[in-house]
Amino acid sequence: MAAAQLDIRRMTIIRHTIYVLVAAAVIVPYLLEVPLPFRPSSSSRKLFDVIEQLEPGSHELLSFDYAPDAETELYPMSMALLRHCFKKDLIPVVMTHWPDGVGMCKKACEEATAESQQLWGKETVSGKDFAFLGFKPGGGDLLFNMGENFKGAFPKDYYDQPTADMAALKGVDSLRDIDLAIDLAAGATVRMWIAYGSDRFDFPLGVGATAVIAPKLYHFLQSKQLVGFLGGLRGAADYEIMLDYDELFETPGVATRGMQAQSVTHVLLIILIVAANARFIANRLGGRQEV
Amino acid sequence: MWYKRTIPLLMVFFIGLLGFAHNYVPHPLSVSFRERMTTWLRIIFGFALFIGAYSLLHMHVTRIRRRQAGWAYSAFVFLGAAAMIVAGLWNDGFGPLESPAKGVSTWFDWGYDYIQVPCSATIFSILAFFMASAAFRTFRARNVGAALLLVAALLVMFGRVPISETIGGWLGESQIFPAIADAIMEYPNLAATRGILLGMSLGAISQSLRILFGIERSYMGAGD
Amino acid sequence: MPGPENPPTSHSARRTVELIVFLGIVVGFLVVSGIVHLPPDKHALAPSGEAEHLPIAKGPDDDAQDEQAAEDEQVDAAGSWAAKSVGVILAAGLTLIMFSFLYRDNPLFKMAENLYVGVALGYLAIITWRQSLRVEVYDPLLRAATSQAFWAALQSRAIPILLGLMLLTRLSKTRAWLSRYSYGLIVGWGAGVGIFVVTDSYILKQIEAAVAPLYTALAPGVQPAVVFSTLWWLHTALPVFGAVVVLLGTVSVLFYFFFSVEHKRTGGAVSRVGIWYLMVAFGASFGYTVMGRLSLLIGRVRFLLFEWLKVSQ
Repeated sequence: MAAAQLDIRRMTIIRHTIYVLVAAAVIVPYLLEVPLPFRPSSSSRKLFDVIEQLEPGSHELLSFDYAPDAETELYPMSMALLRHCFKKDLIPVVMTHWPDGVGMCKKACEEATAESQQLWGKETVSGKDFAFLGFKPGGGDLLFNMGENFKGAFPKDYYDQPTADMAALKGVDSLRDIDLAIDLAAGATVRMWIAYGSDRFDFPLGVGATAVIAPKLYHFLQSKQLVGFLGGLRGAADYEIMLDYDELFETPGVATRGMQAQSVTHVLLIILIVAANARFIANRLGGRQEV
Repeated sequence: MWYKRTIPLLMVFFIGLLGFAHNYVPHPLSVSFRERMTTWLRIIFGFALFIGAYSLLHMHVTRIRRRQAGWAYSAFVFLGAAAMIVAGLWNDGFGPLESPAKGVSTWFDWGYDYIQVPCSATIFSILAFFMASAAFRTFRARNVGAALLLVAALLVMFGRVPISETIGGWLGESQIFPAIADAIMEYPNLAATRGILLGMSLGAISQSLRILFGIERSYMGAGD
Repeated sequence: MPGPENPPTSHSARRTVELIVFLGIVVGFLVVSGIVHLPPDKHALAPSGEAEHLPIAKGPDDDAQDEQAAEDEQVDAAGSWAAKSVGVILAAGLTLIMFSFLYRDNPLFKMAENLYVGVALGYLAIITWRQSLRVEVYDPLLRAATSQAFWAALQSRAIPILLGLMLLTRLSKTRAWLSRYSYGLIVGWGAGVGIFVVTDSYILKQIEAAVAPLYTALAPGVQPAVVFSTLWWLHTALPVFGAVVVLLGTVSVLFYFFFSVEHKRTGGAVSRVGIWYLMVAFGASFGYTVMGRLSLLIGRVRFLLFEWLKVSQ
């Protein structure tokens, strides 16, 4: 009984020590700021290049299908994509399949437009330079709807402006008229966009995904059902590098800064796992039970 | 009774058959049928939320009424929901029938930005600590499969962070570790996830057929 | 828990220490928040932290803009510096309360958790009303511009509105059978359409992608490179090898999940290969999941350092 109590206390101490180490591994890089250069990955570059090749006035549909719990990874991607659109005079059309995502969309659109004058020397006006459509339920059925009658699926935008004569949606009657769609996904919406969207209505689709679902997207990239994808915080950081945040803002982007903390925590975890396994293997070779 | 069971089952079969067959019929009638169905479903889904909301609130009301363990905390659920609903309907004076003006930040938005966002983000970020602790205590290479899992995990974890390029540079090739991580993702991982997707898809088709033919009836609810 | 090895006096002493530490943390939190967020700061940060990246060079019109901004703040109460400061302090407090779960489950955490559930539910209800029901049902019917528009809207919406209301009968014990019509439509349509889209997008296109690299590399009519030359390695051997690795993995994983046949001898060997592929994939998935979860923690720490404590970057 006493041994069991000691064991529980020992495990609790180990657990709390690991928590403190992880917290320190995240906090210290933010305070010390050690730059760690890196090159954008090929999948991120593919998506960036597709957007770079779009002509001014092209419509880019951005579906921010995530809730606040994915904010750290996908919000920097949202901002980077919107900034890229305004830089190249593309027309972003922002929507979401998640009701929790409306707040994220609104924040991103309003921040990107607020800084537009200072960054790009032009004002961006909702309804003219971009459209914020908001949320509609329906999932795959909504995509079918948008594919046949885009403005019928969204008769008004988030600010209650009718879409029928909206300048930002001129020439967009169906998903077929979209030049590129990007789904920023924290869940199963990627497969839905592929099956009910791009494969049915033949438009190029890119994805920005959380790291948790990113491994399940490589086969769509290989089958060319996706034109490119950004995976996790690293994907957002890749995009910030490619957009030259250093030059634009004189500081690294939010995701790029985050990669420093990510590096340190990953190394910490690798050391912990390797050390634990080294002890395990040594015990096994010595014929001892792991305690 | 036939109108409680037979007609819904027949509906499922015929609507499902039309849902499948219309993809092969390029006639304008088929296209307009799909548009009508999807518009109807968009409206119906708007009502579906209230079932979830009622269930959740009913659960907390029951907890309070029966004085179950932790019943007092359920009051915070009602407090939070009431505050957001009142703020949303009042809408900073715009009322429930208008959208707020562009650029205006309402108290409804304030509740989302300063209560929902931090709580939602933090609850999931706690998993990072649990994951680190669990990985240290239980992640062991006990056999070949576990060793493969461990090695793949370590290589991917290392290859995806910038420090791997710095360390690779010291060893003579900065892109070696990212290239290894990419190779793991683009070959064995791709193969396995494709296999899983194919298997899942075959299962989904089989399940859909069971639904269409009335073998699978759990959606009908209790009483059948 | 008090027991023979943990006598009641040491347990209550521990509780007293915990209470003192807790009160100290609360007082410290309030003092730090007050010092950092007062007096009013015209460049108060937005919750995302993105505003900290804006170039802050002032021009000749900036004073007029600042005056206009001050006027706008009086109208937009929820966006004022006071509301934002209180909001950031509240958000930081909720974040730290959530993190307190790492030490132990506690009443503050339970309160915050339940508050979050309620706020999320309220948000969902309002957004569904504003974006879906108001636009699709209320406005076309009850705010129709003309009677013609009203009848056209009613004609197109009567059935889905009725089905939507019937859906709600699922909550009734005696009338729940009415909801079967609504569910029948939803489930039947989803199943029927699903057969087609799943077959096309997830099966046929994926099989095509699995085989296409082999076909491309070995296509007849393509001038073959000299065997074992650099060109041959790059354009034929490596792509074919990669495609074979992927195809082998896909087939063996699929076979592993085929439980109707006993996995013995050749089947057992194929199944074992499938398990190896799965283990590598799960390892890769674990690596990415670790990355994802740590990213969330990084985001919260960034908020606490740069938005709550306003540590300079």
